[in-house]
Amino acid sequence: MEETNFVLLWKEHYEKIDQSLAINKLLLKELISQKAKSAVKSLKLFKFVGIVLAVVYLFVLGTLISIAVLHYSSAANYFIFSMTAIFFINAKALYDYIKHLAWAGSIDYNGSVTAIQEKLARLEVSIFKHTSSMFLQLPFWTTFYLSNKWFPQNVGGGYILFQCLLTAIFTWLAYWLYKNIKAKNADKKWVRILFNGSGGKHVSNALGAFKELEQFKLE
Amino acid sequence: MGFAKTDIFISVIESHKGILYKIANAYCRNSNERQDLVQEMLLQLWNSFDKYNNQYKHSTWIYRIALNVAISFYRKAKTRNNIFSTQEIFNFTGEQENIVNNENSRLLQRFISELKPLDKAMMLLYLEEKSHKEIAEIIGITETNVATKISRVKTLLKNKFSQITT
Repeated sequence: MEETNFVLLWKEHYEKIDQSLAINKLLLKELISQKAKSAVKSLKLFKFVGIVLAVVYLFVLGTLISIAVLHYSSAANYFIFSMTAIFFINAKALYDYIKHLAWAGSIDYNGSVTAIQEKLARLEVSIFKHTSSMFLQLPFWTTFYLSNKWFPQNVGGGYILFQCLLTAIFTWLAYWLYKNIKAKNADKKWVRILFNGSGGKHVSNALGAFKELEQFKLE
Repeated sequence: MGFAKTDIFISVIESHKGILYKIANAYCRNSNERQDLVQEMLLQLWNSFDKYNNQYKHSTWIYRIALNVAISFYRKAKTRNNIFSTQEIFNFTGEQENIVNNENSRLLQRFISELKPLDKAMMLLYLEEKSHKEIAEIIGITETNVATKISRVKTLLKNKFSQITT
């Protein structure tokens, strides 16, 4: 087939379609007014509720830490230390979430295709990367309930061993997840199970797009 | 003011409706998904309408946004909920079944739909007879790169056609 025929074939195909294609103006008006607004509103509300809940959670954690510090007793050392770590990890996660929302909202689709697609792919991979930092709080949930009053002096050797093992396992797990939840592992089965429905597939797709973009720009 | 803006927007879309239809058709073979994609493109165009820079042609602005939405839509695992489930924004005034009757034309549509998302975007622009300069601007690569890639994809299409016909 001659090269120029592609353009002719394309024209032939769409010539009649172009003539008979009509736009439903009423539906279009409705789409860009009422229903579009409500769709955007519900999405914004969903994100807003998420942020409010996270702020409330941080407020509760902060209050507990403040009470413990104001009525300081060495018995609460484990609690203060663990809760402060949990507080900061969650505060960082909230900050990242808001940052990503702002970032996503600022992407203007009226840019060159490769530039916008790169931004979108980078954003999805970044969201995924930041999610892994949430796992760092795992070991602190195994220590917050301990007290200098009874641990370790008033418990048996068995319990000390159990506690040390528990904290060690969770520390190792947190570290392992933090190190291995990486964009390059997004297509691994365990990551897909862990993030099922919360971005794993998106990241895998984003990575694929990233590779394609790199290749596309180079060739 | 809002009313005037809506009317201007609708008239711009009306004049360039073919672009949206062709892009949606190239990226989605399934009619329900195509309908979702058209809605998504229209919403994104509406959201960006205030920021429209008149140093570019309306068609360039529409191509950029619609192609970006189509490529993102293509790789999204989950799509936005369909706002209109029974009616379509695009209608045909004639009988659609009789519109396309050329086998080569059907094959070309099929081969285009099988291309990678970025190659597809570039070929859509080429088939719409956009200049290399304009394609480079919309896609965001150099003119030389556009020429090389178009030539490569055309060879690929030619090979596919010859495989079918031999």
